[in-house]
Amino acid sequence: MKIAVLSGKGGTGKTTVATNLFATLEKGMLIDTDVEEPNSHLFLKPVILERIPVKKEYPVVDEELCTLCGKCGDFCRYNAILPAKKKVLVYPELCHDCGGCQLLCPTDAIRYYPRTIGNIYTGKTLSGRSVAYGDLLVGEVSGVPIIEQLREISGDEKIVLIDSPPGTACSTVAAVEGVDYAIIVAEPTPFGVSDMKLVVEMLGALQIPMGVVINKAGLGDREIYDYCQSERLEILAEIPFSKAYAKQYAQGGLLSETFPPFRETMELILDKVSKAGGRELL
Amino acid sequence: MKIAVCAKTTGMDAQADDRFGRAEYYVIFDTETRSSETFENPAKGEPAGAGGSAVRFISQQGAQAVLAPELGPKAVDALRAFELAAFRYTEKKTVRETIADFLDGKLAKADVSTTKSKHGLRRA
Repeated sequence: MKIAVLSGKGGTGKTTVATNLFATLEKGMLIDTDVEEPNSHLFLKPVILERIPVKKEYPVVDEELCTLCGKCGDFCRYNAILPAKKKVLVYPELCHDCGGCQLLCPTDAIRYYPRTIGNIYTGKTLSGRSVAYGDLLVGEVSGVPIIEQLREISGDEKIVLIDSPPGTACSTVAAVEGVDYAIIVAEPTPFGVSDMKLVVEMLGALQIPMGVVINKAGLGDREIYDYCQSERLEILAEIPFSKAYAKQYAQGGLLSETFPPFRETMELILDKVSKAGGRELL
Repeated sequence: MKIAVCAKTTGMDAQADDRFGRAEYYVIFDTETRSSETFENPAKGEPAGAGGSAVRFISQQGAQAVLAPELGPKAVDALRAFELAAFRYTEKKTVRETIADFLDGKLAKADVSTTKSKHGLRRA
């Protein structure tokens, strides 16, 4: 069973929920696909065993063959290739590796070459469980190839927890596509609810079953509860706002190891998710 | 010679824009005929690479120099490749006043021969 943990808004507690579910579960693998800011490993503290560079291809123009016709630049939607006065300027980090410029080039002057856009780190926790996370290099526009490779690496695992990127952009879609269940972590604030609505819409379009964990419960207002009711969204659990939790988190600790009620909440979520997914988790 | 100035609105009395690649408009002024024409910046809404795209557009309009408040690293690369000169203005003035400053030699020429670390955030 593949379970994604996502949020819409950043900072609602995706990583807290994902890492603590993982610790409570005592089996399966966790992948951190929030490649612009991976931090699951700060809590799970795996020993890194391997670094895998992730490549993406970009166009290189043969100036001898190029006639500066401009077709590549007219085609590129990402401003990655720019026919200038005497040569063609390429911004590798803007290229989405679609291959369009190469197809269109009338003199076959364009070749694609690989370059590294980030890395995947795989390792094991102290208890021997597999953890992998991706790290996109600064200045790169898209972490999707890294996320796809993380999904591939974890493809054969029976149980995979996916710590997803915030938002609803391509990277989030890549992280959650095809999962069996999605856990939305939301906070009961106007921003939290607003961004959560986008996630609910996205998951609906992808036809992924979902449930909601309300984190920092007790803050904000009741809108999230009304929204969940009107959309018939199951509230899997509520995690109360607690300074003791925040302190433990800030020190890189797992809440489920220190706070029995928090661990019980994680067990409750896993129980509900396995029932909803029709599969045994615990 | 034609020079392009970043502008917030249209015409010679528009405020000069404080962005280059994402400026709302470019007013292109012909120093020989003293005439001007305003173009909407087609690159202003690009998710990434607005600077390079804007340089290409300005070059296509026949300009040989740009007057700009600041330049990102991609814009600098593009200015060099399109062989355009760049001059920097720092004061909040109208397009007309900025052009007058340029013609009086009051604007510093930007070095686009290399993409230095001081341009933009990426290489900071």
